[in-house]
Amino acid sequence: MSNYMVELENVCKSFPGVKALDNVSLRLKSGEVLALLGENGAGKSTLMKILSGVYTKDKGTIKVFGEVIEDINPVKAQELGIAIIHQELNMCEHLTVAQNIFLGREVTKNGVLSDKEMNHEAKKVLNRLNIDIDPETIVGNLSVSKQQMVEISKALSTNAKILIMDEPTSALTSKEIDELFTIIRKLRDDGHGIIYISHRLEELEDIVDRVMILRDGQYITSMDYKDTTLKEIISYMVGREITEKFPRIEKEVGEKIMEVRNLNAGSHVRDINFSLYEGEIVGIAGLMGAGRTEMTRALFGADPKESGDIFLDGEEIRINRPIDSIKSGIVLVPEDRKRDGLCTKLSIKDNISLPNLDLLTSKMGVVNRKKENEITEETVKNLTIRLTNSDANAESLSGGNQQKVVVGKWLARDSRVVIFDEPTRGIDVAAKVEIYNLMNELKDQGIGVLFVSSEMQEILGISDRILVMADGKITKELDIEEATQDIILEYATKFDRKIEMKKEA
Amino acid sequence: MESNNSSKRFKRIFSKRGMGQVITVSIGLIMLIIVFGFLNPNFFSYRNISNLLRQIAPIILIGVGQSYVLITGNIDLSIGSVVGMSCMISATLMTKGMNPWLAVCISYISSIFIGILNGKLISKAKLPAFIATLGTMTIARGIAQIVNNNYNTDSIGAKAEGFRNFFYYGKTLGLYNTIWIALVMWLVFNFILSRTRTGRHIYAVGSNINAANLSGVNISSTITKAYLVSAVCSATVGLIITATSGMGTMDAGNGYELYAVASSVIGGVSTLGGQGILLGTIVGASIWGVLQNGLQFAGAPVAIRNIVIGIIVIISVLLDIVVRANKNVTKSKSKGKS
Amino acid sequence: MKKFITLILVLSLVFTVVGCSAPKDTSSDNGQNAEDVDTGNNGDDNGADKKDKYKVYLITMDQMDQHWVTVDQGAKKAADELGNVDYQWLAPDVKDDAKQIESINNAIAGGADAILLAANGPDAVTATLKEADSEGIKIVYVDSPADFPAVQTLATDNEAAGKTAGEEMLNALKEKGITSGKIGVVSVNASTDSTVKREKGFRSAFEGTDFTILETQYAEGDAARSKDAAANFITEGVVGIFGGNEGSTVGIGNAIKEVGGEVIGVGFDKSDTILQLIDEGYLLATMAQNPDVMGYEGMKTAVNALEGKTVDKDVVDTGVSVLKKD
Repeated sequence: MSNYMVELENVCKSFPGVKALDNVSLRLKSGEVLALLGENGAGKSTLMKILSGVYTKDKGTIKVFGEVIEDINPVKAQELGIAIIHQELNMCEHLTVAQNIFLGREVTKNGVLSDKEMNHEAKKVLNRLNIDIDPETIVGNLSVSKQQMVEISKALSTNAKILIMDEPTSALTSKEIDELFTIIRKLRDDGHGIIYISHRLEELEDIVDRVMILRDGQYITSMDYKDTTLKEIISYMVGREITEKFPRIEKEVGEKIMEVRNLNAGSHVRDINFSLYEGEIVGIAGLMGAGRTEMTRALFGADPKESGDIFLDGEEIRINRPIDSIKSGIVLVPEDRKRDGLCTKLSIKDNISLPNLDLLTSKMGVVNRKKENEITEETVKNLTIRLTNSDANAESLSGGNQQKVVVGKWLARDSRVVIFDEPTRGIDVAAKVEIYNLMNELKDQGIGVLFVSSEMQEILGISDRILVMADGKITKELDIEEATQDIILEYATKFDRKIEMKKEA
Repeated sequence: MESNNSSKRFKRIFSKRGMGQVITVSIGLIMLIIVFGFLNPNFFSYRNISNLLRQIAPIILIGVGQSYVLITGNIDLSIGSVVGMSCMISATLMTKGMNPWLAVCISYISSIFIGILNGKLISKAKLPAFIATLGTMTIARGIAQIVNNNYNTDSIGAKAEGFRNFFYYGKTLGLYNTIWIALVMWLVFNFILSRTRTGRHIYAVGSNINAANLSGVNISSTITKAYLVSAVCSATVGLIITATSGMGTMDAGNGYELYAVASSVIGGVSTLGGQGILLGTIVGASIWGVLQNGLQFAGAPVAIRNIVIGIIVIISVLLDIVVRANKNVTKSKSKGKS
Repeated sequence: MKKFITLILVLSLVFTVVGCSAPKDTSSDNGQNAEDVDTGNNGDDNGADKKDKYKVYLITMDQMDQHWVTVDQGAKKAADELGNVDYQWLAPDVKDDAKQIESINNAIAGGADAILLAANGPDAVTATLKEADSEGIKIVYVDSPADFPAVQTLATDNEAAGKTAGEEMLNALKEKGITSGKIGVVSVNASTDSTVKREKGFRSAFEGTDFTILETQYAEGDAARSKDAAANFITEGVVGIFGGNEGSTVGIGNAIKEVGGEVIGVGFDKSDTILQLIDEGYLLATMAQNPDVMGYEGMKTAVNALEGKTVDKDVVDTGVSVLKKD
């Protein structure tokens, strides 16, 4: 038979409008660490959710330890020995380590909890992995890395043979990563099979045996790590033609509009410095966790910052809250438009007028209906927002039109800099082009345009300059002429080298 | 520092989560007692202490019930109405000549029904706890009114003397029975909460319902059990009131759910779930009772009493939320985001 | 599923509320008599229409108190006797100004000819009463008047009754040879006019004596909490306690019973439990109001007014009976 622990063959999964997995196959041997790689949206977490029973596959076969398994659910997966450790940890912070490890499987004697025994067992599991934690510690008091270790211990205590780890190192320091990798190696040596999902390509070499790459929901290739290079991996992750057309306009770069110096806000925004000029669109590229959204939010005043000087048209402005930013003319079109960009239960008209009430109200605070209608009409016309009636709820619009409302409300007030965070996410192709045209309009009018995007093609198609972020810092500034997908991805994965090399004889 | 077993256990008891607040409020309670004792010589008389303990007993009971529910991350607004319903059902049946103990059983059964209803509405039908228990609050109060045709009842009669003594007027070993009832029920429920699987699950559900679910905890059953405990405690208080007054009043228990929340919160049970120990609830209930009692002796107008209690509750909740918020901020800063 | 359950719950809520505030009595069905019922008065028509059936509503503070139930019984009795009244009792489920205003509005909309009203407070509902008055509806106050002109007020003179209660207590204390000491008062709250007046009357009886009346404890008429308050008073060493309404009185009676009856208790209102406590000797006396008289006579006055007859007195003191152990 096969000596594979897990075999996924030709798995397909679709969601409304999106084919997440298209005939993907995966094989995991006992005693190996397999890295599952791919860009955002490649299908990695969907595949793992199918394996761990959270999603059901549409097509394909799943074999665990050689047996075909139908209808996996989370409980069954656990029984089969599959454990998944999510990026967002699933711990009950008020309970102790031992209590968390035994949650749902508590040991009792005559109905009474045998805490002593559970503590003892927990300590045994922790010791197996050389983790030094007192099982009676409250989980909430542990650092994130230690919590992660507790989750791993929990998985082991359920006799999981197959461990799936999703972005395990994103919140860890280098020393903690060291400790984690020691554990992983031990598990591997003990015969466990580990699927390791991460964007931090540079860490792979310390831990990974084989590599598997997905792109756009499809299986691309897999090989032993030692048989490939980082460069090759990157090109497989990214390699496709740019097929979409991006309307690009030429414009001469003019005066400096905005300069940001020394922006620091927590661990995701570190020492950011850049400038923005009239007549250009600047794209911010990077992977999830790079800190792009956090940077725009810190800039806009939505999140507190530790330091940062912002100059608009040569003058320094103080931004502590969004209203400061708005008043100065810097506006933000947020990433999650339904949650942060619109009041979905309010009418389109209300949404457009909301941040502009100061322009629409009389001294006494009464809203001038006529002006409100005028502003709404103008915005709808200028952006060709397709709607039946401006009194309808904002949530009734399509994604693209919603996005136009979000942008439109800012344009009504002569902004100076417009920051877009993932402006075309979840929008169909035609509407995307309209948004690009809008951005070009702004560029043409000399309004500063800054945009964050995870779609490589978009960044390359529309930007004049590109800032690549990784790990909270800007790792590279590129002019569009010198930018390629490979270079961008290379700088997007340049984390501070966190791993100390352990040379083994 | 020697690490012999007894000092370790001592340390463990005091570092147990929740003890911090319990100790703080206990100190507050002691101070209150000293102040009131000073203001009023009668405070420490045998009669007053006996009365006081007996006044605190029902508050402890509803506090225990509400604490169970709060720890799961929910709330029970129907407590007061279930108290009234139990009072009216038991009294009405007794005035009609039924054996008091049979009436007691029926009161408990009807309250259990409300408890299960609460649990299922919230865990299966996914109604927010606030709404669901608001609904059962109205239903239970309605039942309390209808049961005797919209009147308060007549006297429950001489046949009920035994019942009245058991629940209220009688003494055992020098303490009123009511106190013993509260004590015993507290012991039982505290044991369940701290030493059984059900109790562990109750904390887990309140701490992180998703993690609990993924770990195989039966969420529906756990939440329903919490509401059952609350219903049983409320029913008992209703019976105590019937015994006290010797009749059933339709608006018995009015507002009790909030006193129950106050007692729990003062004692360190968090309204956000997952945290708190019943020892704290006793202290919270005692503070409530001592304030009621002491302020009367101090001659304070009732309005002052309400304001004082309100302020204490707000401060307790604020402390709770502020401490939790601080913990969350430091947590999210070290987690990966986009 | 969630929506369905919410719908069911909301419907049940609605039905319950409606059910509870539904009137207890429907119109009196006395069969149609061709002749007029003899009211002993063939007076002139003061421009008022003599109708076949007058629509009269009784609006009380709530539906729960036995007190209101008795008012209703009295009114119903009169309506039955008179024969030309279409009578309905409306009341909110709890004492609440907004709800009472609603009830009055409902009565107006329902085509009331007269309203018997126990107003929540002197000013709470005057606006609606103006409306009622402008529609020509006759207003008669039962138990608690409002600050608006009406045909008549039939109520207990609460202050006088309170004073009587105080005097009863004083006499009893004197008989026991007690001429000084502390007295406790357990009442409802500071905003219910009737109980506030009773307390005032009670306190006035003690002016010039050597007794000190302590700070009143308000327990919203809850019998159990009143008992706690009374027990605390007893611990403080009071010689007498006054209860401002039924619930308060039950409470103080139980508290006195518990300590064996040394303290003199006097209260208000009548109920089975209170009578029992008096019988057992734990309460000295209770001031029993005559709510049935309020309802009965109030109905009669209303109909008289509707028939255009003159109404002599503005205020009728329906009085209290001092109930003691006989």
